[in-house]
Amino acid sequence: MDLLLQQIINALSLGGIYAMLALGLAIVFSIVRLINFAHGEIMTFGGYGIFLAMAFGFPPLAALTVGIGAALMMALAMERAAFRAMRGADVVSLLITSFAVSEILKVLFQNGISARPVPISFPASWSGTYQLAGMNIGVAPTVSILVTLTSLSLLTLVLRRTSIGMAMRAAAEDFEMLRMLGVRANRVVAVSFAVSGLLAGVAAVIWTAQRGSVDPVMGFFPVLKAFIATVLGGLGSLSGAVAGGFVVGLLEVLTQAFLPDGVSPYRDAIVLGAVIAILLVRPDGLLPAGDGSRS
Amino acid sequence: MKTKSILMASAIAALAGTAPADEYIIGVMSAQSGYLAPYDGPAYAGFQFCIDEMNANGGLNGTTPVKLIVKDTRSDIAMGVQVVQEMIDDGAEFIVSSADADPTIAAAQITAADMIPTMTFAGTAPVLTQVGPHVFGSYPADNQQAAVLAVYAREQGFENVWLVKSPDSAYTLGGPEYFGTAFSTLGGNVVGESNYSLNQPDFSAIVTTIQGAETAPDLIVTWAWEPDFPAFIRALRGAGLDTQVMGGDVLDTPTVRGLGDVVSGVIHTSGGYPDEGSAYADFVDRFKAATGTEPDNNYYVNGCDIAHMIEQAVAAAGTTDPAAVSEAMAGLENGQAVMSNFTFAGTDRMPLRDVVVARISASGEKEFILRQPADLAILPAP
Repeated sequence: MDLLLQQIINALSLGGIYAMLALGLAIVFSIVRLINFAHGEIMTFGGYGIFLAMAFGFPPLAALTVGIGAALMMALAMERAAFRAMRGADVVSLLITSFAVSEILKVLFQNGISARPVPISFPASWSGTYQLAGMNIGVAPTVSILVTLTSLSLLTLVLRRTSIGMAMRAAAEDFEMLRMLGVRANRVVAVSFAVSGLLAGVAAVIWTAQRGSVDPVMGFFPVLKAFIATVLGGLGSLSGAVAGGFVVGLLEVLTQAFLPDGVSPYRDAIVLGAVIAILLVRPDGLLPAGDGSRS
Repeated sequence: MKTKSILMASAIAALAGTAPADEYIIGVMSAQSGYLAPYDGPAYAGFQFCIDEMNANGGLNGTTPVKLIVKDTRSDIAMGVQVVQEMIDDGAEFIVSSADADPTIAAAQITAADMIPTMTFAGTAPVLTQVGPHVFGSYPADNQQAAVLAVYAREQGFENVWLVKSPDSAYTLGGPEYFGTAFSTLGGNVVGESNYSLNQPDFSAIVTTIQGAETAPDLIVTWAWEPDFPAFIRALRGAGLDTQVMGGDVLDTPTVRGLGDVVSGVIHTSGGYPDEGSAYADFVDRFKAATGTEPDNNYYVNGCDIAHMIEQAVAAAGTTDPAAVSEAMAGLENGQAVMSNFTFAGTDRMPLRDVVVARISASGEKEFILRQPADLAILPAP
């Protein structure tokens, strides 16, 4: 039972990261119909921000703040430099643009910083454990879960209680109508990118704290999983993205923990098979977008 | 007049693109990006440095200048196959392939027809040479490293090992399995195994499984590379497990040593150690003086050693004919190199070389523990 509880904590920790990344993808997609595969590079840039800040002698907490700020700035720069010019283009053109941006940034990271992973050495206390009801629970997964829940709660608050948040939700429902009502499109889109960058930055902080290194392709795999999560949750649905992230995290951890040795090499295929099975039953995703757009 | 000019220009162009008859052409697969870049990059830098030194003295054995053709594979096997074919079309008589078994095996399929010797930068999976008699390793093979490490682990009193491996590559799967075989032969027990995927996002589930094991391991062995190893060791130490961790030569990098407290005491194999006054230490000094870069891992010096292996094979063959060089390379015994001497004779073309066992200190330094060749009596079969 203890083992199961610990694995559920692990699943929540991993699922939370996927949820934040999936939410970042979903916010941008819901407004500009862009599946931003360069989202992973925003996360990677945040990781390098942490690395460089620590290399320049910043204390760890300040370095984490620099990392989040770096991701936010990268998301805004990406929107301004690459995606604003493509506003209104069809989905395929936007997709190809995002792949191009992703590749360009990866090459810049490899040649400008290092092709090798660079180490980030956090204080030993960040890798500790504490006792709860007889269980050894890691500090890092706990902080990860708390940060995820706090971030998602704050975001919910912003989306529901602030005018820009309401504008973003309205844009997700009907962007053209929002523009006809006089809301500045550039501002709404820029804020959606900023929010997605902020979430990617927080994900980068948790990711690097747990993994201890940053490399040019660090963001690629988690964002791939986050994309699966957004599809599973219902492409364009913000709550669906969060739900999808946690489901994918849960599936990954539980299959890793409980599949027999002989079957475990097929773990990724089993997880993706489970995702396909869910989509066969609910083709629009777990919590489809309000406008009924299909995944 | 116009026709004459065109003919003259064509002749000049043709001459410019043709190597002099006595030039030895070596094709190099070098991943400039992707997962192999951290290994191919330093290996190529060391290789080029020593080839340049040889060329400054007249070439291989002072008589045969070397021309390098270097092509980027982007760590993509299909791209690797394409560039090998292009290099052969451009006259390559020797191919140095990427630092992993899988791209080397793919390259060797292309070079097999002409028996063009093909040597991996640092691939250590012993299965890679089974493609044909023209394929060679250069670094101590995984089974040699595992055998030396297993002997050391048993001498230190470790009884129960947990293996963490990935079936996604011959290296990450083979290393721990060879260790398990040798460790069992020496009387130890393999009490559990976990599989992971390359670039796996999270290792906490594996760590929790190890925590809940029926028989707690006193040793964990993995051949995981970056960024998987940093993620694994942080998850392990983060869960409060201070079990001894040992691994393959892929842990011998500044990135791993830079991880701080979590890697203090980790033990790994290595191809060499630059003892004071050794040829390796001299290489480090010369390389640093010439390039301004500190060769901070063994891939640099092993790249240089490949140049020495080729030089000695060409000398033994007495010709640069590819098939003859392949045959001569396979017969080399106690060849002289910088990191350690090497023997291909009597092997399946994975060279017998000394294996170093080292420890990462609390301050992130590489501490020498021992250097010895693998005991052939317990060497696990590929």
